[in-house]
Amino acid sequence: MARIPFSIIKYVRFLWMSEKVITYLHIDAQGQLVDWGGYPNYYGLVNLVIGKQATEQISFLEGLLPVVHTEVIQFLRVGTSNSAHVHIVPYQSHTWVLLFDATAEHDRQQKVQQQANELSILNYRQSRLIQQMEETWQALTEEKQQLEQISQAQGRFFVTLSHELRASLSSIINNTDLLDIPLEEYETHYLTTIRNNADHLLSLIDNSLEQTKLEIGQVVLRPSRCEVKQTLKELENLFLPLAQEKGLTFTLESQPTIPSFVMIDGLRFRQVLINLVNNAIKFTEQGFIKVTLDWQDDQLKFAVADSGPGISPESQAKILTTFHREKIAYHLPGVGLGLTMSFNLIQLMGGELKIKSTPAVGSLFSGFIQAPATGYIPVVAETSQIITTTSLARILIIDDDVVNCSLIETTLRERGYLVVSTYDSRDAIQLTRQIQPDLILMDLLMPHLDGYTMIQRLREQQFTQPVIAISASNFEHDRLYALTSGCSDYLVKPINIEQLLAVTERTLCKC
Amino acid sequence: MIQKKICMIGDFAVGKTSLVARFVRQTFSDKYLTTIGVKIDTKLINLSQQQIKLILWDIAGSDALSTVTASYLRGAAGYLLVVDGTRKPTWDTALNLQELVNSQIGNKPFIFLLNKADLQEQWEINNLDITEQLQQGRAVIHTSAKIGTGVEEAFMQLAMKLLNNPLD
Ligand SMILES: Nc1nc2c(ncn2[C@@H]2O[C@H](COP(=O)(O)OP(=O)(O)O)[C@@H](O)[C@H]2O)c(=O)[nH]1
Ligand SMILES: [Mg+2]
Repeated sequence: MARIPFSIIKYVRFLWMSEKVITYLHIDAQGQLVDWGGYPNYYGLVNLVIGKQATEQISFLEGLLPVVHTEVIQFLRVGTSNSAHVHIVPYQSHTWVLLFDATAEHDRQQKVQQQANELSILNYRQSRLIQQMEETWQALTEEKQQLEQISQAQGRFFVTLSHELRASLSSIINNTDLLDIPLEEYETHYLTTIRNNADHLLSLIDNSLEQTKLEIGQVVLRPSRCEVKQTLKELENLFLPLAQEKGLTFTLESQPTIPSFVMIDGLRFRQVLINLVNNAIKFTEQGFIKVTLDWQDDQLKFAVADSGPGISPESQAKILTTFHREKIAYHLPGVGLGLTMSFNLIQLMGGELKIKSTPAVGSLFSGFIQAPATGYIPVVAETSQIITTTSLARILIIDDDVVNCSLIETTLRERGYLVVSTYDSRDAIQLTRQIQPDLILMDLLMPHLDGYTMIQRLREQQFTQPVIAISASNFEHDRLYALTSGCSDYLVKPINIEQLLAVTERTLCKC
Repeated sequence: MIQKKICMIGDFAVGKTSLVARFVRQTFSDKYLTTIGVKIDTKLINLSQQQIKLILWDIAGSDALSTVTASYLRGAAGYLLVVDGTRKPTWDTALNLQELVNSQIGNKPFIFLLNKADLQEQWEINNLDITEQLQQGRAVIHTSAKIGTGVEEAFMQLAMKLLNNPLD
């Protein structure tokens, strides 16, 4: 160690180290290695030759010599060797390169830095993933909206088409009804076939229409006071003959807990029950059909049981999954559109429909709807005596549909009303002025002058008597529009004769 | 023999150590081992009938030049700016570092390396960014330390620039 100058030893002591631990390289002004000491091979410096150029043997010195001030290079490793703090110290035109062991410190720092860097990368990847997921989500949402728009448009198209079909079909049905004259037996047979098929077609259209409206959100519930027992009675009247014809036992049971009146959309509820019972009778060849109604906690519970062939577990699962996905089951084997519709209607009524079925034993469709009890309201009896008081009323019919027009005219005339009709809306104003009708029945969609404009014109001319709208449209918004435009009631084609008479009488009675 | 000091510059985990390992030893490891301080490797190459010893300084990655890092740069003849193509921010870091290095050691030859070119499906750097650099006359090379693409080319091209650099 004698060859190390005292200033270098002082420098080492200044670093709080013993000069015994150091590895040093002594380089002269020409860059040649003059001397070395300590353990250069511990730092990967091997085969050092005195008198040879230092930068050729100690490659990290390339470009560094000579130094003016002391230079420090921290944590330097040559290849895979140990880490050193390298101090390059100028001394009397020579250079002293001192290496201090930094291995332990290096390993410590590496552990800490490694964790920090890995965490940082992880965070970055995570935020990128979230960003990508959000982008994907955004794209999917947009796509979904587009698909929904297309589906809505298709639905609306289908609804319009159905109304057209419905209008033509109602003409056929009404026309057949008008042929109420003595006929040969074979003629009656033909007529019955026509009527049955037309009815079937109409119910198909109605069901599809209803389903489409459910899908595009056009079905609006109209809850009113409804007598549950009455609904049951209607079901019995409707289905008992059918069941008896097939030799099936048909029982209806209602618990005494059921209030006389509940607030529900009676029409829709009836629709559901009719669908379920109709299916049960259709598929059951022998045994029974049983309908039960119960009420608890503002919920009306219902069950339709049968001893039919049952539904296989796969089909049941299909029905349920399609239902739970809030998607519409278009085609389920053995299950008509009616069941899908029932599912959707019940959901709309805040309820639930469950299926339990054992193949070859039978099925049970049970569920509930929201049905708050409501106080007893005496029903105003619509007796036939009213007819005598209103039978001299004058009624004007305006409808460009000739068949429909004549059907209504014939029906009302038979009841003793004084009826005038016109197919041309342009005559309507003139006629109204001439005959001063007590009631106008009017189609809303007519060439030349549509119903809405007509009502406005009539009202402008101080015509104050009621107007009943007749329309092929079953749209909720059409009905609302008609009622807000000043119609007192709304009849849907094909005209149900009993309903026509009831509405006519009621309207006339009021004024 | 001609010796040239080359620095590997760039954010952490972009692949500086891996590029050196691929170039010097033809090895690659998927495992990430953080570099602390600096690691020196050498490689002899033949270029235009000359033998050149490249002294590679693989410096710990960081996004800013600390005084410590600056001491590693002294004497460098040129440098490689390494970018992780699957992390866009490392590209911005490289651009930033280039200016800092330039202010430290002056105008020296350098090349941008867009590393991890084998991970195309995770690529985050668009061609527009690259074109902008190319238009400024800068060299950009796609590399993959993993499969070797562009690695030899990157070091050789820089070495060529160093030999032809009149300032050195
Ligand atoms: N797929 C792939 N991974 C790479 C490539 N280069 C480096 N890596 C990985 O990236 C991580 C960081 O590499 P490293 O060389 O330590 O980066 P450094 O911090 O810049 O020295 C390691 O896990 C490597 O295996 C490459 O070209 N392709
Ligand atoms: Mg590294």
